[in-house]
Amino acid sequence: MTPRTARFRCLALALLFGLLATEALAAQALNLGIFAYRPTQVLESRFQPLADYLGAQLGVEVRLHILTQEQMNEALARNQLDLFFTNPSHFLMIRSERSLGGAIATLIRRGPTANTSSLGGVILVRGGDSRYDSLSDLRNATIAVPGPYFLGGFQTQLFEFREIGIDLQRTARLRVLGSHDRVVRAVLEGDVNAGFVRTGIIEQLVEEGRLQRDDVRVLHPQELGEFPFVVSTRLYPEWPFVALPHVDQKLVRRLASSLFALAEDHPAARAGDIAGFAPPADYQSVELLARSLRVPPYDRVPAVTWLDVLQQYRYWIFAVVLLISLLALTAIWLWRQRKRLVREQRRLSAMVETWPEPMLIIRRGLFVEANSAALQLLGYHRRESLAVQGLAGVSPPFQPDGEPSLEKSRALLQAVMDQGVQACEWRCLRNDASELYVDLTLARIGQHDDGEPAILCALHDITRRKRAEAQQRLAASVFSHAREGIFITDVEGRVIDINDAYQVITGYNRNQSIGSLVELPDEGVSVLMYARTHGRWVGEFRSRRQDGEAYIKALTITAVRDDRQRLTHFVGIFSDITRLREQENRLTRMAHYDALTGLPNRVLLADRMQQAMAQARRQGYRLAVAYIDLDKFKPVNDAFGHEAGDELLVTLAGRMRTALREQDTVARLGGDEFVALLVDIPDRALGETLLQRLLTVIGEPVWVAGHSVQVSASIGVALYPGRQELDGDQLLREADQAMYHAKQLGRNRYWITASDQGGDAWSP
Amino acid sequence: MDRRSFLEIMIATGLLGAGLPGCSSSQPLRMGLHPWIGYESLYLAEEFGWLPQRVRLLHGASATDSLQGLADGQLDAAALTLDEMLRARNGGLPLVAALIMDVSAGADVLMVHPAISRLPELAGKRIAVEPSALGELMLQRALERAGLAASDIQRVDLPVNRHLEAWQQGAIDASVCYEPVASLLAAAGGERLFDSRQLPDTIFDVLAVNAERGANRSQDVTELILAHFRGLDHLVRNPHDALYRVASRQQVSVAVVRRSLAGIMLPDLAANHRYLAGDSRIERAASQMIGLASDSDTSDAKVGEFYSARWLPRRLP
Repeated sequence: MTPRTARFRCLALALLFGLLATEALAAQALNLGIFAYRPTQVLESRFQPLADYLGAQLGVEVRLHILTQEQMNEALARNQLDLFFTNPSHFLMIRSERSLGGAIATLIRRGPTANTSSLGGVILVRGGDSRYDSLSDLRNATIAVPGPYFLGGFQTQLFEFREIGIDLQRTARLRVLGSHDRVVRAVLEGDVNAGFVRTGIIEQLVEEGRLQRDDVRVLHPQELGEFPFVVSTRLYPEWPFVALPHVDQKLVRRLASSLFALAEDHPAARAGDIAGFAPPADYQSVELLARSLRVPPYDRVPAVTWLDVLQQYRYWIFAVVLLISLLALTAIWLWRQRKRLVREQRRLSAMVETWPEPMLIIRRGLFVEANSAALQLLGYHRRESLAVQGLAGVSPPFQPDGEPSLEKSRALLQAVMDQGVQACEWRCLRNDASELYVDLTLARIGQHDDGEPAILCALHDITRRKRAEAQQRLAASVFSHAREGIFITDVEGRVIDINDAYQVITGYNRNQSIGSLVELPDEGVSVLMYARTHGRWVGEFRSRRQDGEAYIKALTITAVRDDRQRLTHFVGIFSDITRLREQENRLTRMAHYDALTGLPNRVLLADRMQQAMAQARRQGYRLAVAYIDLDKFKPVNDAFGHEAGDELLVTLAGRMRTALREQDTVARLGGDEFVALLVDIPDRALGETLLQRLLTVIGEPVWVAGHSVQVSASIGVALYPGRQELDGDQLLREADQAMYHAKQLGRNRYWITASDQGGDAWSP
Repeated sequence: MDRRSFLEIMIATGLLGAGLPGCSSSQPLRMGLHPWIGYESLYLAEEFGWLPQRVRLLHGASATDSLQGLADGQLDAAALTLDEMLRARNGGLPLVAALIMDVSAGADVLMVHPAISRLPELAGKRIAVEPSALGELMLQRALERAGLAASDIQRVDLPVNRHLEAWQQGAIDASVCYEPVASLLAAAGGERLFDSRQLPDTIFDVLAVNAERGANRSQDVTELILAHFRGLDHLVRNPHDALYRVASRQQVSVAVVRRSLAGIMLPDLAANHRYLAGDSRIERAASQMIGLASDSDTSDAKVGEFYSARWLPRRLP
């Protein structure tokens, strides 16, 4: 539509409505609108007689208005029509907009052979055009149509195409020409490939002489026997005659009866080419058509409600909802499982973490988790540094049994996998390289199908126990291997245990010893009492072995107390010191006695002199030191040899010893020099007797080396106390000088210190 | 040897029985159909292309063709009256009613000469009857109403498609018939004296399915039934189109078609579910048929499971 024609139409509409408005005011006039499906003058000439007939029947003027669909819509919108008569599609449009009721009658159209209240669509091509034979040939054709709201001129054809799967509105070029006559003209003139018109148009045009039947060819003709028109589509009800609600109901009834009463041969009917009116048809089929074509008023997809969807797809929806629910349930279940798992894992971790015993988790041979206790035990500060280690990583290269830690740990982990829980002792190496002994317990955690298996590794520090054990072993070794005899008794001194050395020393075996009272010096009880009180008793005593041999035992008894200081045991350690004692005695003798004669030597002499001098001062008696030197001993030695000399000396020593009293001492100073210490000499007489006795025994012949030998002695005597206070050495020196004096006097005599010659030197 | 006896031999030797089930599902479901206003739904469906791909309609002239096709295995299903189906069942065909296509409510008629104005006047008259249970039933009920015995009339056994001819020749005074013959007789001056409106829920037209063939063709049977309902919908909703088509096919006027349609009830899907889910009306109708049958081979027939709702769709699309 060009702008000019549009403007013209607006003007025409305005004029028309002005006219209608004035006419509506006129009393009792009914305005009948008829859809201008053909040129206005044609329709006016056809329907004016009908309007006149109705006016005559009703007694009111019926004004005829031939209107295009737009005009009719406009007029209805302004409520300027009382009655209208249009095609079913347009009726549905109006009805949907105004909520009208049904029609009051349906047209019966006159046909050349029969009358019908059905209409359909015709698909035309030019008579000489042989390009088109079936509907599908028109798929991409240019097609003239009267307008979109024409039932027989558009929608019926569209539906037939749709039934064979062609959407003409998309594939073909549709040219809207406004009326059927223009469509036929366009087809005849070749402007278009085809045209759509309603049934009856061709027959009318032929009748009116405007068309030769052969000028057009009808596609897709239907064989419908009695139906009087050529038709290409299925049929639908004819036009409805509609009264608007505001029209008086009595008038409507009279109108309806007038319409039904219209006889086929009535001039009004003849003029209108109609055969009368039938009771209103069911226009549902037209509605369905419009719906399926989605043309107005059903051009919008009805708002699909949830209920519709539910109705249509309930099984699918049910299935989908079920699936989703199942999925959701599964997801929730999984989520909860996961949560529980996480919680359990956390709890496990917390448990492991807070457990005071060291715990580690091994996965693929490495520690993946460790609790604080484990870190502390192994001396690590950071979990991460422990995490890269395996069991072998925290162990010294070798285990106590000599096996390499690496191999042993691998075998151990494999054993856990194969056989379950494993426990053993293990030597570890702390981060600071110190050694550590642990009780290792390994257990698999999780099921076999859990994927990566984990091993829980619990450590228990047994280093102290190990050390104690080592000490005990050491002690046991000492106990069993010591050379000292060791015994353990109960508090009463009954033997509980002994070692091997005990048996060796005493000669008593275990059976004989255990259970018997331990052998102690004197009163055993007092010894034990002493040990109990002082913690220890040390002593030596003589004892006898089982075979009766005497020996000297050096014993230490120690009281053993428990944690509460209660006496529980005595431990005794002893050794046989017999030989030690002998050695000691021998050395003592060697230090104080002359080896040849067995007489005290100079050291012992000095000692005895000191004692005797002290006693003499205390008790007030007199002692004499006699220095004895053999005369002419050297010739004997020279003549008979040293051994003979020695023999002589030994014999003389014995004689001197026996010549004196018990309390006197004879000592050898060396060579042929002797000293006699004479104590407690109350008077001169005794002194001189003893000296004389010495001279006598020395002077007697001695048989040595097969010869009788005779020697004499010179004796110098010093007395104590004398006039001067002298010490031992001085006294001995005085005696020595006196001896020389005697020698000078002619040997074989004694000489008493000069100072003592006069007076009574022997008197104290 | 014609095809039928050949088939009988094949069945007797068990060869066909072994061979058929295997190949049956690869072939289309074949249904026999003959002109009757109650079957127009399927003709419309065929015309508009609404039949399922795997179903073929085979057009016969009368029920006899359909029964013959069922008997020699050419057909898997057919549109039949209930009595025809029951008789075929007693003949050994495993037929089951899968659908009630229509119920006669006036379409089966006793047409009489205009001289006869009341039922008792039938005494001594020549009445043409089709030798079928339905014909028997109609005649018996009419005679009951007339107060006559079977011996009181002259019975002429004649297929219904020859009644018009006999009427025109003056060979009969009355005819037990049905549309469109009834309308044709009416046009020839006959008058309705008695019709199936007096026998409500008695005369059924059914889709009879060979149960053995239909067992593994459930989907096809159901789709065929859906096509019937689609055609039925067009017939009922858009008579402006359908009547022309029916009239055109039956070669009668639209007015005759309209009158014929008035003589039958076309049960919709819900009504079918009611009938076939164990409604006593169809059982009663069947027992009446059997009780009336003159043939000795139908008298002892068992009603049994001769109908089933298992092929009915639950709802229409």
